[in-house]
This record gives sequence, C-alpha cells and structure tokens, in this order.
Amino acid sequence: MSLIPGLGIAKGMALTLRRFFEPKVTVMYPEVRVDVPHKFRGRLQLLYDEWGTLKCETCFQCAQACPVECIDMGGMDTRGRYHVHWGASETYGERREESALRRSGRPVPDPAYRPYEPVDLAVVDTVLEDFDHDPARMLDILEATQDAYGYLPVAALKRISHATGAWYAMIYGTASFYAHLRFEPPTATTQAAAVAAHRPAETTYLAALDAALGGAVGGRAAGRTQA
Amino acid sequence: MTVIARGWERLTLPGKLVFTLVPVLLALTIGLVAVIVLFGQPILDVLAGNLEIVRFVVAVTIVLLMTIPTAFLIIYMEMKIIAQMNLRIGPDRVGPAGSLLSVVHGLKVLMKEDFTPTGADPLVFTWAPVVVYLASVMTLLVIPFAPGLYGQQFNLGLLYFFALAGLSVVGLLMAGWASYNKYSLLGGLRAAAQVVSYEIPLTLSVVGLILLAGTMNLYTIVENQAGWFTDWYVFQQPLGVLIFFIAATAEANRTPFDLTEADSEIVAGFATEYSGMRFGFFFFAEYVNVFIISALTVTLFFGGWNAPFPWPEAWRLSLDVDPGSLGLGLLFMIGLVPLVLTIVFSLPFYLASSRIKAWQALIAGFVLANLFLGTVIFAWGYIGLDWVAGVLWFMGKTYVFVFTFVWMRGTLPRVRIDQLMDFAWKWLLPASLLNLFVTAAAIIVVKS
Repeated sequence: MSLIPGLGIAKGMALTLRRFFEPKVTVMYPEVRVDVPHKFRGRLQLLYDEWGTLKCETCFQCAQACPVECIDMGGMDTRGRYHVHWGASETYGERREESALRRSGRPVPDPAYRPYEPVDLAVVDTVLEDFDHDPARMLDILEATQDAYGYLPVAALKRISHATGAWYAMIYGTASFYAHLRFEPPTATTQAAAVAAHRPAETTYLAALDAALGGAVGGRAAGRTQA
Repeated sequence: MTVIARGWERLTLPGKLVFTLVPVLLALTIGLVAVIVLFGQPILDVLAGNLEIVRFVVAVTIVLLMTIPTAFLIIYMEMKIIAQMNLRIGPDRVGPAGSLLSVVHGLKVLMKEDFTPTGADPLVFTWAPVVVYLASVMTLLVIPFAPGLYGQQFNLGLLYFFALAGLSVVGLLMAGWASYNKYSLLGGLRAAAQVVSYEIPLTLSVVGLILLAGTMNLYTIVENQAGWFTDWYVFQQPLGVLIFFIAATAEANRTPFDLTEADSEIVAGFATEYSGMRFGFFFFAEYVNVFIISALTVTLFFGGWNAPFPWPEAWRLSLDVDPGSLGLGLLFMIGLVPLVLTIVFSLPFYLASSRIKAWQALIAGFVLANLFLGTVIFAWGYIGLDWVAGVLWFMGKTYVFVFTFVWMRGTLPRVRIDQLMDFAWKWLLPASLLNLFVTAAAIIVVKS
C-alpha cells in the first residue's frame, strides 16, 4: 500500500486515459495487410511431442531452406550414432573445453572414446583425386569410396568433407539417402542379400533346378533360400 | 387449396401470429383514431380531470421506453471505450462505427432459447429478472431531468429511491433460489450480502446532504444547488461524494466490485441458469443501474440540471413565437427557407473552384444548410426553453459519470470478497458516520 491511499488507483486511471487517446494498433485485417518482408518466416520454435522429446529429427531441411542462413544446428543423427551439425563453425559457437561443459551441466566427453575407427585415408585421397575434389560429383565419390573400403567410414566422410568443402551434414544426408550406400562393413547376411538383389534371376533359376532334379542343388548360403 | 391457404400453411407459428396481430392492430388503430376524432373533446376532458393519473402513466411509459436506448448506448460505450483503452478499435462493423452492435446483441438475446431448468420454481424463476429490472427502472421516476421534467416529485424522493434500489436484492435472491442450483444460490447469497452491506454506507453518506438540504425531495435538492458551480453540494460534502460513489459502484455491481457476476472468474453467480431474454434483463438492469447511479450522483452532488455558471439575465431571450400566428407565411417558410439556404450555402463552393461540379456544391450546401438550421433550432431551444438546457446539462454530466464507470472497468482489477466486505464495514461505514457527525456539527456551529 502506498503512502497516500488511492494513489495507485489514480495512476492506473491516468494510464488508461492516456491509452484512450493514443493511436490504436488494430489492423483491419481483411482490408489492410501488414507489409511483411517476403523472407519473413515468423518465430522459430523447437516443438516437443507429447512424450517430452524434441520433435526435431535434425534433418537440416529448415537450415538448408533458411534464406538468411540464420539457422545453425547440431545433434545426433536419427540412430543416435554420430554428431552432425549444420552451419559455419564460427557461428556454431559451442565451447567444448571440458571446464565449460562441466560448468554448463552438459555431458563431458570421454577423451578415450573414439567415435569412429581411423582408416587409411590414402585410399580416399586417391578417389578424391580421381573426381577432382568436385562436391558436385558427390554421389560418384561416395560410391567409389564405398567400393574401395567396402563401406563408408566416418573418417573417410570427414576427409571428403574437408577436401571438397561440402558440409559433413550434407554428405551424411546424401550418403544416408541412398540404400546402396552403407556406413558399416557388410555382414554375411547383408552381403548375401545384396548379392541376391543384384542377381534377381538366380533364385528362380535355382528353384526351377530344384523342381527338375528333385533335390538340393549346390552349396547354397542360408540367405539365398529366402526371397 | 387456394393461394392464400397455401401461403398460410407455409408460415411458422410466429409468422402466423404476426399476420394475425398486425391487421388486428391496424383495425384497432383506425378505430382509435376514429374515436378520438368523433369523441375527442369528452376524452380530453376526462384526461384533464385525472391529470395526475395521466401524468403517472405517461411518465412510467417514457421511463420504461427510455431504458432501452440508454442501456444500448452504455453497452456500446463500454465496448468502444474499453477497446480504445486497450489500444484496440472496438466494434466497427454494424452501423456507423459499430454503433448498432448493441442492437444486434439485443436481437441475439431475444432469439436465444428461454430455458427453465428442471426442478426450478418456474414462477419465481420467471419473475426474478422482472423484479431486478423494475427495481432499477422505477427509481428513474423520481429523478428530475430538467425543470418541470420529472416523473414524480414528492417529499420522500430519496428514500423512495433507496427503498426501490434495495428491492433489487430480492430479485437477486429470487433468481439464486429459484434456479435449483447450489452455485446459483451461493451466487445469489453473495450478491445479496454485497448489496446489503453497501446499502448502509450508501444511505448514510447522503444523510449529511439531507441535513444540509433540509429535504429528501430530489427536485428541491437540485433547486438548492442553482447558481455558480461552487453552490453544488460536492464542495460541502467531499467525503460524502467519495463514499457515495464507491458504495454506488458496489451497489450497481460494477468493477472493481462486480463479484456478483465476475465474468472472468465464476460462471455467472445468480444468473447461471438463465438464458435468453431473462438473462438479458439482468444485464439490462445492470446497465440501466449505471445510468441511474450516475444520474443520482449528478442530482445530489453535482447540481443536477443546473449549468455550472448562471445564465446571465440579460441573455435570457424570450422567443415566444407562436407559429400559428404566421398563417400562410409558415407554409412559405417551411417550403422556401431550406431551399434558399441550400442554394446560399452551395454558392461559395460552386464559385470557389471550377473543378467542383454543381451537384457536388448542392450536396455540400444541403449538408451545411441542415447543420445551420439544426444549430439555430438547437440554440433557440437552449435559450428559449429551460428544460432543453436542463436536459442537456443533466445528460452531459450524467454521461461523464457513466464514462467514469466504464473507465474504472477498463482500469481496476476486481477485489476479493473479504476485502470487499472489510472495506464496507471497516472503512466506508465509519467514514460515512464521521461525515454525518462533522456535517451536523458544522451546521450547528454555523447556525449559532
């Protein structure tokens, strides 16, 4: 309570009276439209689903579409394996010293942990030489790399990113888009399935032989009897 | 089946009613006109013989009819003024600047289903809004609008006012009780508690004024305040005005004391079960109450119909022109003056610029001529007729207070029920008693 009773009321009344004479902010919408800059996208928001997890899948589509390149983001990929981020490193202003992380309450990485195995990068360097370090020919580079290693090691992808200048996130997106590109050495099962997929006539041929000869034909791998 | 019969079949029940009633009413009107023309003089004699009764009937009719535009105007003011205070524009679609929106609201309320809940006492439930409405409307009868312009003028005017205003509690309790709903009942009790509590400081705050005026006749109280604005009772009873205004705010259930139907907090208090026009009547009564409370404040403390300065006797023109004495000249005046004035006022526009076409100049001249004639007639009324000036001043002052009520609603937050009661009993009641004692002592000191 103020010293003089009613002073607050008087102040409030004075305020509303001043508002009464001020210009109004209403926009008569259907007739009048506010001049919005054509690149205006409204307020950016990260939404949570009903289970309390972020709905953002780190697909980078918003960051790619952002006309003023104001979005930079980082996160784990959808399978929670690799840390990916979008945006120039200087704008991606994360302090990664151990003390800063500890003070901010974020998890401190274990220096002994190797997120990916080191590989012989000379191989990918020759591939890059072949394709002239051209990021426009990324799919060819990735396919040649996979032919050389049998899969796409993360170290090689980083090397490609470094050499071509393409963002790692973009390379990761390209590589994860195509079904025939893989990030792990192929297991026996996947190899067999891949071989079967490349030779679609084989199973029908073998089935026909089975039927004709009435018995098991050849030494087939377990995966081949599928399909 | 004839065409008429088919058309009749297609009508809804209200349509059938209208198509039956309108010819009947027409026939009755024609009959009435015929009766008046044939037996006009005897009827006039009877009416003149019972002037008091005629006066009462006319006054009641006018007062009842007056509440409708008053309520509409105050509702519109509320929508518009609060919007402006919120930096919005407010209603602007129906009618010029949205001024017909309250009419639309009224029609909407009329068209809604009039629902009586199961278990409610239908008789009491139906009559509760009528009681609330009439309790506020009938108080208008004693308010003097202008010299000679009042419903009734009698010695107990102020007492009658408070007695009838207190009657609205009965209506609120009836509504709460008859709704067959515990929340309605609680709301009704709460409303009754509030209104009864504030009735006491409200009545006590004017006792000092009654001592000063020596009468409870509202007409005489206003007459006492004639002259300069320093003669108004507000300068002799400043504390009384304050208490009266606060208590009247609570009495009329206005913000910050609108706990009876705190729109944003509880459902609707005693009016929970009401719908349609019965609900509308509660709101009607509320807005009429705002007008009445403002009118009473003006009447008691702010000089009623008196102008803030005395009209100099030298300016008092007597403009008793009898239009009948002009004879044929009157017809010429009515026919010619607007025409001549229109042309006179349009000439400057026509001559000013060659880009203004003749018809544009004529329209401008017509508007200006109407404005001019209106001003002349208005000024003639103001100078020549006391009651025109009186009504103008009275309404002007009253609507200043109506604006203040709306302004308060746009500003102040609602109080809690215990704060409300504390304020009435611990602050307003002692203050009004103090006011009474000080006034009485002052009168004794001045007289001795």
